Amino acid sequence: MIEKAKNIIQNYNGKPLRIMEVCGTHTHEIFRLGIRSLLPRQVDLISGPGCPVCVTPVNYIDKAIYLAQKGCCICTFGDLVRVPGSESSLAQARAQGGDIKTVYSPEDAMLYATQHPEKKVVFLAVGFETTVPAVCIAVDSAKKNGIDNFSVLTAHKTMPAAYEALKGSADVFIYPGHVNAITGNAVCKELTKQGVSGVVAGFTAEELLMAFAVILTLYEKDTPFFKNCYTSVVKDEGNIAAQKLINKIMTPCDSTWRGLGVIKGSGLMLKSEYSNYDAMIKYDVPDIKGSPNPACKCADILMGKCKPPQCPLFGKVCTPLKPVGACMVSGEGACSAYYQYGENL
Amino acid sequence: MCVGLSAKVVDIKEDTAIIDADGVKKEINAALIDELEVGDYIMVHAGTAIAKIGSDINVLDEIL
Repeated sequence: MIEKAKNIIQNYNGKPLRIMEVCGTHTHEIFRLGIRSLLPRQVDLISGPGCPVCVTPVNYIDKAIYLAQKGCCICTFGDLVRVPGSESSLAQARAQGGDIKTVYSPEDAMLYATQHPEKKVVFLAVGFETTVPAVCIAVDSAKKNGIDNFSVLTAHKTMPAAYEALKGSADVFIYPGHVNAITGNAVCKELTKQGVSGVVAGFTAEELLMAFAVILTLYEKDTPFFKNCYTSVVKDEGNIAAQKLINKIMTPCDSTWRGLGVIKGSGLMLKSEYSNYDAMIKYDVPDIKGSPNPACKCADILMGKCKPPQCPLFGKVCTPLKPVGACMVSGEGACSAYYQYGENL
Repeated sequence: MCVGLSAKVVDIKEDTAIIDADGVKKEINAALIDELEVGDYIMVHAGTAIAKIGSDINVLDEIL
């Protein structure tokens, strides 16, 4: 299969096309595996907004820092720690005495709260449909067990509304495999009826080569298409138990995406019966506006309007060691991928 | 958005499972996976199993 896929990709002689890999993990794996070097010149790869840290707005970091300064213990995935807020980062807040802990999972944060009843533990709940079930499990468990010193600061995002906003940014989308593992494929199939083509792809070399070969084969037929190229993990109906849990605990809300602005109904927040676990309400967090660095092009990069090397800060004042924008910090960010693997690949 | 860990299930206790990922053992939440058995492979994200890993369909052969 690999040789067959490779031949299709390298011998593609059709019309030019723009493929957006929505997911940041795809961006990194495509670079890391050297797949870019196999693609013919008329195939342009665009990195999309599927990096949770990258699309989280600056004012979210400001709110987390506010909570740390008010004496809360902030539990977070590691890649949020160095993301710059308006004036500071969680790393700087920690250096100034803030209680900032890196955890592997929301459940670990909840368990930490159980072991430290004297602390006000706040988990930074960012991420897409992939991460939401883990947060729901932690909140549900905290409520069942009466763990009142645990709460979450939510900035969850969901993909369906974002796809609407991204229409026209690319000719074909590579949909995020593990989001679809939760949500299923119905939204992607619906997009096909609206003329939007795409495939769900996995993350190994074999899975990605098959996805590209399928795209290039079907694109030449000039009919909108959808194919699930990650059948080992993604079922058409998704993970029903996870969907039920999300619907029990979360409700849709408008959400601000770095680069895309406010997208109606593209976020998830806790339902009112779980408000005791909502850090915004519990600790009366003010509506901090936030001000991103105006020279940073993260917003345009997330929309596929420009590539990282076109940002005047890229590789100069903005590097993984001293990042200016979120896309350079995150292990899933496009700037980080271009910096790590080279923009000319 | 899709950082995942594929791992083998080596033990199950109620809603939790012990996984073996390249020799590293870890306890994870498996409440969202139906009919999980020891020996199954699962995809884990943020400490929670999100899918059972099954067999692949060769989509390329299907469309050619």
